[in-house]
Amino acid sequence: MRKITAFSLVMALCLLMSVGCKKKDDTSSEAGATNTPIPITHWYWADNPDYSEKMQQIVKDFNDTNGKNIKVTAQEYPWDGGGYSETVFTAAMGGGGPDTAAWKLTSTPLFKANNLLAVLDGYIDDWTDKEDIEESLYGVMRAAGGTDNIYVMPWNTQVLYVYYRPSMFKAVNISAPTTYDEFLEACRKLTRDTDNDGKNDVYGFGMRGAKGGQEPWGSFIYGRGGDFSDFSTPKAVAGMQDFINLYKKGYVPPTAPTDGFNEIIANFKSGKTAMTIHHIGSSSGMVESLGEDVDAFPFPKGTSQWTSMGDTENVVFDACDNKDAAFEWVAYLATGKGQEEWCKATGNVPVSKRVQAMPEFQNNKFMKVSIQGAPSAGIFPILDTTTEWINTIWPNTTAAALAGQKTAEQAMTDLQKGLYGS
Amino acid sequence: MHNRKSGFWPYLLVLPALLVVMAVVFIPAFNAVLMSIQSYDLRRPSEIGFIGLENYIGVMQDSLFWESLWRTLLWVVFGVGFQFVFGFILALLLNRPFGGRGLARSVSLIPWVTPGVLIGLMWRWIYDGSYGVLNDILLKLGFIDEAIPFLARLSTVFPAVIVTIIWQGIPFFALMLLAGLQGVPGELYEAADIDGANVFQKFFRITVPSLRNTIYVTTLLRIIWVANSVDVIFNMTGGGPAYASQTLSVYIFNKANALNLGYSSTMSVILTVLLLLVAVPYLKNLFRNQEN
Amino acid sequence: MKGKENRFYRLLNLHIPLILLLLFLLFPFYWTLVTSIKPARELYGSVVTYWPRQITFEAYKKLFFDYNFLKPMGNSLLVAFFTTALTLFVASLASYSFSRFRFRGRRLLMILFLTNNMFPTVLLLIPLYAIMRRLGILYTPLALVLSYTTFTIPFSIWLLNGYLSDLPQSLEEAAMVDGANRPQAFTRIILPILIPCLIATGVYIFMTSWNEYTFAVMFTNEESRTIPVSLKNLIGQLGVQWDLLTAGGIITIIPVCIMFFFAQRRLVEGLTAGAVKG
Repeated sequence: MRKITAFSLVMALCLLMSVGCKKKDDTSSEAGATNTPIPITHWYWADNPDYSEKMQQIVKDFNDTNGKNIKVTAQEYPWDGGGYSETVFTAAMGGGGPDTAAWKLTSTPLFKANNLLAVLDGYIDDWTDKEDIEESLYGVMRAAGGTDNIYVMPWNTQVLYVYYRPSMFKAVNISAPTTYDEFLEACRKLTRDTDNDGKNDVYGFGMRGAKGGQEPWGSFIYGRGGDFSDFSTPKAVAGMQDFINLYKKGYVPPTAPTDGFNEIIANFKSGKTAMTIHHIGSSSGMVESLGEDVDAFPFPKGTSQWTSMGDTENVVFDACDNKDAAFEWVAYLATGKGQEEWCKATGNVPVSKRVQAMPEFQNNKFMKVSIQGAPSAGIFPILDTTTEWINTIWPNTTAAALAGQKTAEQAMTDLQKGLYGS
Repeated sequence: MHNRKSGFWPYLLVLPALLVVMAVVFIPAFNAVLMSIQSYDLRRPSEIGFIGLENYIGVMQDSLFWESLWRTLLWVVFGVGFQFVFGFILALLLNRPFGGRGLARSVSLIPWVTPGVLIGLMWRWIYDGSYGVLNDILLKLGFIDEAIPFLARLSTVFPAVIVTIIWQGIPFFALMLLAGLQGVPGELYEAADIDGANVFQKFFRITVPSLRNTIYVTTLLRIIWVANSVDVIFNMTGGGPAYASQTLSVYIFNKANALNLGYSSTMSVILTVLLLLVAVPYLKNLFRNQEN
Repeated sequence: MKGKENRFYRLLNLHIPLILLLLFLLFPFYWTLVTSIKPARELYGSVVTYWPRQITFEAYKKLFFDYNFLKPMGNSLLVAFFTTALTLFVASLASYSFSRFRFRGRRLLMILFLTNNMFPTVLLLIPLYAIMRRLGILYTPLALVLSYTTFTIPFSIWLLNGYLSDLPQSLEEAAMVDGANRPQAFTRIILPILIPCLIATGVYIFMTSWNEYTFAVMFTNEESRTIPVSLKNLIGQLGVQWDLLTAGGIITIIPVCIMFFFAQRRLVEGLTAGAVKG
């Protein structure tokens, strides 16, 4: 008994010491500074370790050059399929959240409802680089908050377009489609049997049925003249039917209902599909695998035209004690050197017009296609039901439709109910 | 019986455990019951308020709830059932003397050591309809002539995740039962051998009864754990496609993550009550055994 | 053991089932290993390769040097170790009490200890985070240790209780008749016999702590990060870093198995033939 007590006392001491050591480290580093710098904590996710390193480098550059004694510490958190937002939410609600954070528009309603975000209008109005960002983008930010205030600072965007294999197009004698109907035709023509074993081994289109697939899917709805204000209209249902037909007729791989980003990219790179929809973020990987045999076109116009605008922003939290410094930082990311460095590294479309005009961006063929698609680029309605709709309702309902469990009409009614309530 | 002499000892021994668990678990549990009678949706904080049994009625009318519940039943019965059977077999095997036994025991642990995210991804990949090794093997052996998209097909996705949870749980039973086997006195077997008992008689008359409490406890714990587990399904399929692999715990998880805490609390209260009902026969047996 | 088992019999009822089971358990591990040493283009090739055409240890290099994986490994080890020690200590005392004494409220307490795991952890996160912050232990290993013990203790109590109940009370009674008091009976007679069970329960606690993600992501920052969170970082919007993830997985699994290899020797000791029954 004595030995056990002694052992456990020693253990407890060690544990307390480890806590104590940590605390000591923090205070010593602060005491070392001559005049206390303004601390800003920034949380972000990184799509791969290289991007993470890039962010840390941008932070270091900012700290060295901002001249206002602002010191940013950036902490990386896992993207976790969107779980990132919940992590930030829990921390903010628990009183320990960051001062600024990387952001997705769909999180805005939740945070705004709980009064966690700082209003940025005052800062933006007084900002010298205000005009460097397209006014329509500010409009999108306002819409996300549901009021006339801006709670979200733009950072970069990704416009979805259609990748295709020029060699395959040549093999079946077609050129890049310029209308929605031509696109559907191309899906059919490109599905073929190339090794003569009686089964199709190349599919016209790499359909994405898992979470995130609602973005390419939206283009089909608009292709028939529908829109997102009411999914249950006949036009929207027709678009859904086109989508289902691609699967039923076998123009997409049979794994489509559960194919996510990994699968559609892998299928395209391995030659299993002739076309697939994504954005510039994947372009360097494409070129690495396929060299010259990959190109892109914007999703063509049918009755209407729409392509998804992926977004990444930054926000400032209301609990932040140094909002001036925080804005300085997010502005650096939006139009300063931070924007340049980040967009160069990731290939994302800059929100800053000045950076957009730079040669690296203008001379990239995928950037060109992105910019071509920009006028018709949009987002899904940002309501407080959007996150659940994207995470659970859309993938499961669409999978049910593809499997024939639901008709296009039933599925669209369910989607309508899921997003708008009834 | 030690009732007279025990005095304050039992309470003192239990106190640390009670303290640690009380504040951090019992109170939130109580909280969950409270939330289940409110419309508690953090996306609409201004609308939080008491709504009595409305959540419960809503849940009862939710066909997805019943489907998920049914699937949870299958999940537990097949998942824990096979984990137990194979785990027990493995424990018996690992109890025998043979060269390299230490190594065999150590590697048996691997499914348990593997991080959940990796389990989901690797099994997803093994089942993959385009690049999966399972399809490759089946094709090469001639069992099928076209790759099966296991996780995309409604009829195969749930059995597929069940196989994964069985895989994950075998080491738990193997280890727990192996430890229990160490407590079975060797001379019981020797006496049985002298009496001419065969393998099955020795197993059912000696091994199983000696391990009775261990078996009860491990299966009960495992049932609760598996019923509540979200990891495997979430990382492999997210509950889809078309909710075909969604168990009640995954449904609760998704709803809680969507911050509809009132609705998800309601479902967890119901699930807890059901699990307690399942536990009752176990507990009766367990307490009765301990009296002896 | 009486009698000679002939080799064929032994092959049939020991080696073959053993190999089949181990094959099932180990195949995904093998696949993880192979994936971690395959170059990227071989992963999504149209042909499935069972052994890489080209072996590359690039992923491991990146993991240790660029990604600094040793830190999360150390953190995970620290947290798991303390969680196990603390839980075993508290749970042994409590389960001894439950199995040897009959006292009022015993059954109610045991049932309560069963229910703690029945609520989604998501419900606990916000209040726990606030508490940890107020206590000032947020983002230290202590936060995780305390959180983990809250759910490992109840289950461990049940596990140990099960084992203890399979041990006859006559053992301590015999010792107490000889003049030992209860704590002495516990440490000298019960504890040594309980060691295999403590090891097994210890492994359960260690694994629970080692693999836990939900609390870890909230209560750690980059300094105190544990392995599961670190691995999740490798899955971004643009897909999975297969090479790093699988390499990380392999590096996570192997040390634990090695530790267990040394621990499992103690599993064999237990009731020897000299134990008294009845």
